[in-house]
Amino acid sequence: MSTVDTTIPALTQLSDDELMLKEAAFEFAESAIKPRVHEMDEAAKLDPDLIKQFFEMGLMGIEIPEKYQGGGGTFFMSIVAIEQISRVDASAGVFMDVQNTLVNNAFLRWGSEEQKQKWLPILANEKVGAYCLSEAGSGSDAFALKASAKEDGGHFVLNGAKLWITNADEAEIFLVFANVNPEAGYKGITAFIVERDSDGFSVSKKENKLGIRASSTCEVLLEDVRVPKENVLGEIGKGYKVAMETLNEGRIGIGAQMIGIAQGAFDATLAYTQERKQFGKAISDFQGVQFQLARMATDIETARLLVYNAARLKASGQKFLKEAAMAKYYSSEVAESVTSLAIDLFGGYGYVKEYPVEKFYRDSKIGKIYEGTSNMQLQTIAKEILK
Amino acid sequence: MKFYVCIKQVPDVTAPLQIKDGQLLQDSDRMILNAYDASAVEEALVLTEAHGGEVEVVLIGSEKSKETIRKALAMGAHTATHIQTDDTGLDSAVYARILASFFADKEYDYIACGKQAQDTDSGLTGGMLAEYLGIPYATNAVGLTYDNGLLTVKRQGDIGQELIELPSPGLVTCSNDMNEPRIPSLKGIMQSKRKEVTTLSTDDLGVDANALEVKTRILGFEEKPGREPGKKFEGEPEDIARKVATLLDEESGVL
Repeated sequence: MSTVDTTIPALTQLSDDELMLKEAAFEFAESAIKPRVHEMDEAAKLDPDLIKQFFEMGLMGIEIPEKYQGGGGTFFMSIVAIEQISRVDASAGVFMDVQNTLVNNAFLRWGSEEQKQKWLPILANEKVGAYCLSEAGSGSDAFALKASAKEDGGHFVLNGAKLWITNADEAEIFLVFANVNPEAGYKGITAFIVERDSDGFSVSKKENKLGIRASSTCEVLLEDVRVPKENVLGEIGKGYKVAMETLNEGRIGIGAQMIGIAQGAFDATLAYTQERKQFGKAISDFQGVQFQLARMATDIETARLLVYNAARLKASGQKFLKEAAMAKYYSSEVAESVTSLAIDLFGGYGYVKEYPVEKFYRDSKIGKIYEGTSNMQLQTIAKEILK
Repeated sequence: MKFYVCIKQVPDVTAPLQIKDGQLLQDSDRMILNAYDASAVEEALVLTEAHGGEVEVVLIGSEKSKETIRKALAMGAHTATHIQTDDTGLDSAVYARILASFFADKEYDYIACGKQAQDTDSGLTGGMLAEYLGIPYATNAVGLTYDNGLLTVKRQGDIGQELIELPSPGLVTCSNDMNEPRIPSLKGIMQSKRKEVTTLSTDDLGVDANALEVKTRILGFEEKPGREPGKKFEGEPEDIARKVATLLDEESGVL
C-alpha cells in the first residue's frame, strides 16, 4: 500500500469552519433566497427583508474581526459563501461579494484604527457599502477617472459622476475614488468614505440589465459633496493602490460567483435530464447527453480548482495576481458555456422563464465584464508570464 | 431555566440510501442533526432567550458525531456533553439507560428530545428516559410556552391539539411541526468552537454491562416493494363507470 500523506490537503478539502459556513449558506440560499429569485429578477430589486437576513446570518461581514463585531471568518470563507449563494441567485451573490471582497476588504486593509472602529461594525451589521471607481469614460482605463476632490479647510469637496455602481440603490456607505491633483495623473487618485445622506450626493439612474437584474447598478452623482478629511481611506494620492489591490482580490470573488452560477445550472440540468423522457427513456440515458454532462462537470471542477487555489494563495499571504486573473477569466468562460449548454439540454423549457436555466445564462454574461473585463485579465496574465 | 436537549446524529435522508446484502450502504460523510432534535434545540433556545437560562445538548455517538454537536452549539446551545461510544448497534432502551445514568446527578428544569429519530423512527428513547428518571412526560409537542416556572405543552392528540401543564423537572418530546430551526449564523459557527464540550464514556457514567445489553437488533434491510401499477380505463363514460363499479364490487370487494 502506498503512503497516505495528509499534510497537504486537496484544494477542494474544506476546514470544519468552511464546511459549516458552506452548509449554512447552502441552507440559507435554498430556504430564504430560492423562493424569491424569480420575483426579484422580474422586479429588478432585492427584497429588503432578504437584505436584513444577510446581515443576521453574518454574511455581510465575514472577514471583519470579532472585535469590530464582524464574523471573524476568513477570505476563503467569503469565497465559499459567495459560491453557495450564487448557486441559487447570482444577484444575491454579487450583493454580498461586493460588501465582503471590495468594501470591507478596503476598510480592513487601508483603514486607520479609528476608521475601522467607526465603520466596520456598521458594515458588518447594518449598512450596505458600494465601491465607486468606474465612470462613463473610464472603465478598463480606471486611472483616467475625472471625479475631482478639492481641499477646502478640513474638508475635501468632491465633484463628478460615477457609473455602473453595484449595490448603489441599497448602499449607505460609498467608497468613492476621486483625483485630488489631476496634474499628477493617477498619483492624485484618493479614496474617500462618503455617506449617502451627504449634501450634493445622489444615486441616479438605475440600469435595466440583461442579467443579475436584482442587483442594483446605478449612476452616482457628486455635486460639491463636502467630505471631512478623516474620511480619506489610506493615503492621499494612493487611492490607485487601494483600487487596484482591492480589485485583484475581488476577482477571486467574481470567480466564486461564476462557479456558483455554473453549478446551479448544472444541478438543475442533471435533475432535468434524468426526469425528461424521450424515445422511451430518460435523456440522460443517451450517451450524447451523458458526455455533455460529463464535460460540464469537468469544466466546473476545473474552474473551481482555479478559484480555490487563487483564494488559498491569497489567504496564505502568497502572490496571487496571475492566478486570480486566470480564475476570473476562466470561470466566466465556464459559466457562460455551461449555462448555455444547460439551456440546450432543457430544450424549449430552457428558453422560458418558468424554468431556471435561462436566468443562469443571462447572469453568467457579467462575469466577462465587471471587475476587469476578460481582455484585461488576459493582459494581466500575459504581463505576468512574459516578465 | 436549565434545559437539556438530547440529540442524535442520523444519515442525511436527502442523500441517496442503498441496500446491499441486507445492509444499509450510506455515504457516511453525510450525517446530520436529527430534524426532530433540531426542533427541540430551536424551541429550547427560544424559551431560554425569552426567559433566561441555558441549553445543554447531550449526544451519544462516535467521534464523528462531534460535528453534529457543533451544529447545535452553532445554533446557540451553550454547552454540550458527548457520551462517546463506537457501538452503532445500540437500541432505544440502551440509549435511554445511558442517558438516565447521565441525568441521575443532574439538576435541570426540563429535558427535551425529538419525538423520534429520522433513522429508526422508533420514538422510544424519550419515554423510556422519563420512566427511568421517574419524571412527568409529554409527547409529540407542537408548541411550548413557559410561565412562572411551568411549561405548557401544546401537543398533537388524536382529535385535536391539547394543552398540558408539565411540572418541572419533566421531559417533553418535540415534533418538527413545532418551528423552523434556525440556520447557524457565521457568528454562531465561530463561537461554537469556543464552547465547552464535555466528553464522557459509559464507564465514566458508571453504566454497567447489563444496562448496555442490547435486547433488539436490526436483522437486515429490505427494499420496499414498488407500487403495483394502477388500472386505466378508456372509452365512453357509462362504459367506464360500469367497469369501475364491477371492479370495486366484484373483483376487489370494496363495496
